[in-house]
Amino acid sequence: MDHIELSLTQSLDHCIKCNICTAACPVAAVTDKFPGPKYVGPQAQRFRMEGQPTPDESVDYCSGCRVCNQVCPTGVKIAELNARARGQMVAEKGLPLRNRLISHSGLVGRLSCGPHAPLVNFGLTFKPARWAIDKLLGIHQNAPLPQASSYSFRAWFKRHQQTVDGGRQTVAQQGERSGAAPSTAHRPPSRRQVVYFHGCATNYYEPRVGKAAVAVLERNGFEVILAKQNCCGLPLISNGDFKGATSAHEANVRKLLPYALKGIPIVGTSTSCTLTLKEEAPEILGMHGDDVQAVAAGTYDIFEFLRDLAERDELDTNFRPIKRSLPYHPPCQYRAHRLGNPAMDVLALVPGLRLNDSHADCCGIAGTYGLKSEKYQIGMDVGAGLFDFVRDSGSDLALCDSETCRWQITHGTGVASKHPIEMLAEAYGVAL
Amino acid sequence: MMNYDTIVIGAGITGLMAALGRAERGERVLLLAKGHGTTHWASGCVDLLDAEGDPLAAITRLAAERPEHPYAIVGIDALEQGLARLRAACEAAGYPLVGSATRTLLLPTAVGALRPTALVPATMAAGESRQLADGRPTLIAGLHELRDFFPPVIAANLRAQGLAADSAYLTMPPTERHREFGPMIFARLFEQAEFRAQIGGQLAEHVRRGGYARIGLPGILGLKGAAAAVRDLQARAGALIFEIPTLPTSVPGARIFHALEAALLAAGGRVQIGSLVQRAEGILEHAGHEMGEEHEGGRLVSVYSEAAAREQRHRARRWVLATGGVLGGGLRAEHDGELRETALGLPVRAPNSRGDWFDPRFLAEGGHPIFQAGVAVDAQLRPLDAAGRVVYGNLAVAGGSLAGYDPIREGCLEGVAIATGWRAGAL
Repeated sequence: MDHIELSLTQSLDHCIKCNICTAACPVAAVTDKFPGPKYVGPQAQRFRMEGQPTPDESVDYCSGCRVCNQVCPTGVKIAELNARARGQMVAEKGLPLRNRLISHSGLVGRLSCGPHAPLVNFGLTFKPARWAIDKLLGIHQNAPLPQASSYSFRAWFKRHQQTVDGGRQTVAQQGERSGAAPSTAHRPPSRRQVVYFHGCATNYYEPRVGKAAVAVLERNGFEVILAKQNCCGLPLISNGDFKGATSAHEANVRKLLPYALKGIPIVGTSTSCTLTLKEEAPEILGMHGDDVQAVAAGTYDIFEFLRDLAERDELDTNFRPIKRSLPYHPPCQYRAHRLGNPAMDVLALVPGLRLNDSHADCCGIAGTYGLKSEKYQIGMDVGAGLFDFVRDSGSDLALCDSETCRWQITHGTGVASKHPIEMLAEAYGVAL
Repeated sequence: MMNYDTIVIGAGITGLMAALGRAERGERVLLLAKGHGTTHWASGCVDLLDAEGDPLAAITRLAAERPEHPYAIVGIDALEQGLARLRAACEAAGYPLVGSATRTLLLPTAVGALRPTALVPATMAAGESRQLADGRPTLIAGLHELRDFFPPVIAANLRAQGLAADSAYLTMPPTERHREFGPMIFARLFEQAEFRAQIGGQLAEHVRRGGYARIGLPGILGLKGAAAAVRDLQARAGALIFEIPTLPTSVPGARIFHALEAALLAAGGRVQIGSLVQRAEGILEHAGHEMGEEHEGGRLVSVYSEAAAREQRHRARRWVLATGGVLGGGLRAEHDGELRETALGLPVRAPNSRGDWFDPRFLAEGGHPIFQAGVAVDAQLRPLDAAGRVVYGNLAVAGGSLAGYDPIREGCLEGVAIATGWRAGAL
């Protein structure tokens, strides 16, 4: 047992039962079905033994928002304990069909995205269809499902690459063939490189976020490499499919390691994907090999990366003023990076632009949690405070770094939502 | 916002007061903490000193006798100004504090003992011992659903002290909740008018039958709207209502936290919770010039907080350490008997060996030496090494991490937190 495993299993002994976590838990605040982080975490953990039946299934109502970890004064890894407990339940009882479906966001995205997307989107807004899906599968008929894109981000990037590279073979393709990090000998040495981790949402639903990220990175002199990648596996982790999540992470580590070893940063726009690569997969799945750690150490959320640049005075701050005051929600998965508020820090450099922090714990969607029929209303109740904040702002646009949170905010308020990187691209005067 | 004027480490009363002070001077301030502070573990009252009569006069005497006591280091002014700022913040949050620094109040605890304190939330005021002793009967009421709060025990102990008190368990009004009833869950229920109406009706019935002048209830009567909830319950019950602090999580403590946090955010401060500061980088020298400024001691340059996959580096011109003592996690006893300051690795003044930590008598009059261990500081709260030299000239240490006092035994935990925190914010 290595020190991470040890700290996870022993961290329940640091719990002094003060219930600060329960007092702060946004789910326990709105429903009785979840008795609170202390109860299902460090307390119930004492009754969980390998080979013994799970003593209590209420842990399934944990949304995984990690507010408990954030407020715990004694450093108990409550959210990780809960995730593992759910994993144990799934290992015992198997994964329901609904959870199997929504946790394979890559597959679902791949099937939905493309020229036929309007048809898929129509199907998913067609009320009788949603009613049937609700009753048959357990995906709530009102839950915010994303609109599939008629083209994938990777397809766009290939075209984009041809325009900037004059048709030269993409680096990723070379890398695939040789199975090693691509040679960069033919490139001008001044050109710094980053690997962009787009995640499923950008690729299949919101290519505009990836376009903005590429524009911002290129504007700062980086050559963007689109490495082969697959779903980060977080939906699998949060639905308890640890076997599936482990293979997803192993595959990503295989694909990303060559870059990490070369010191090429891996930068992502989805806060939950980057958190999974950095920490969730290693800790929750117990993957602590050198390769896994190298990829974790090389992965950055995009605003973390840009803030580091700014702190080194390397960020291009030649921004056009944007005279706007916008509501901003730092997603719980972003706060779990424990970095403060990088998007607000960087966007504060744009003249005239003001982001107002929601100070809300969670939007309630928590990835796939709020999609589930039995949890939809809980998610909406959790998000109520945030929805009020966004509506009361009077703004027609809200900013949030996480895709599922954006969809939930728009669903809960009717206010459009964007990734903060889109604002930064706008400040650079990039038309997307 | 990446370069802060001041970074305050610790989110208890000390850290919040210091951060508020600096933010109100127009500085860019970050409050950095590993979790919620010990406010959520405390009574929600402001204890100044366990002294009969006039705490402020007793503090003045104490300061003269013990020049190394934090009260002596920062002076009475810092305490009075800090108390005034805290009161204003609580007032602004609609949660007024009553009492004064010159009169000790005695309020019942969750076991019915009378505990000395100085400022109390208005929601607890009617439980003061002089009122309890006015000869009119008091009812202590609770709910079976709230664990660790036993009205019969409280009432019996009050009676043992000559105070007329009865007890009753109320019937839980129907709610959507069926199993978990922590203090904060109750606080949210008490924010609902319908829930209060049900409880108020039961209380009125008890008042009608028992002629009670006042009713003691657990300190769970609302979070943001506690003062209004208590007024509403009083009107419904036809008697005065007072809250009695519960076991953690302390709702009255959380209210103080929220009042100060709101004041800090309004003053433009930033708050980052969930980030454990684990090491520091500084220049250790004992005098010098930097950017035209003469300084004594070394300079703290950056601190590193634990984060996903790597540490986060923080930089600021000046710093306040407010991470608390052993309870708050600011000091830690290692297995080898060494006492360590956990965030920055500052020198700790402690008994020479583990054998000297405790007085052989458990209830020794002077307490146990280990409980006075902490970081020694100069008049500007700058940390000192064993030779009495300033370690970092741009760092102030405040609150529970300080050496030279025993907050629990002396009954001055909040008072020293406020006085030293406010002083650190004003330096």
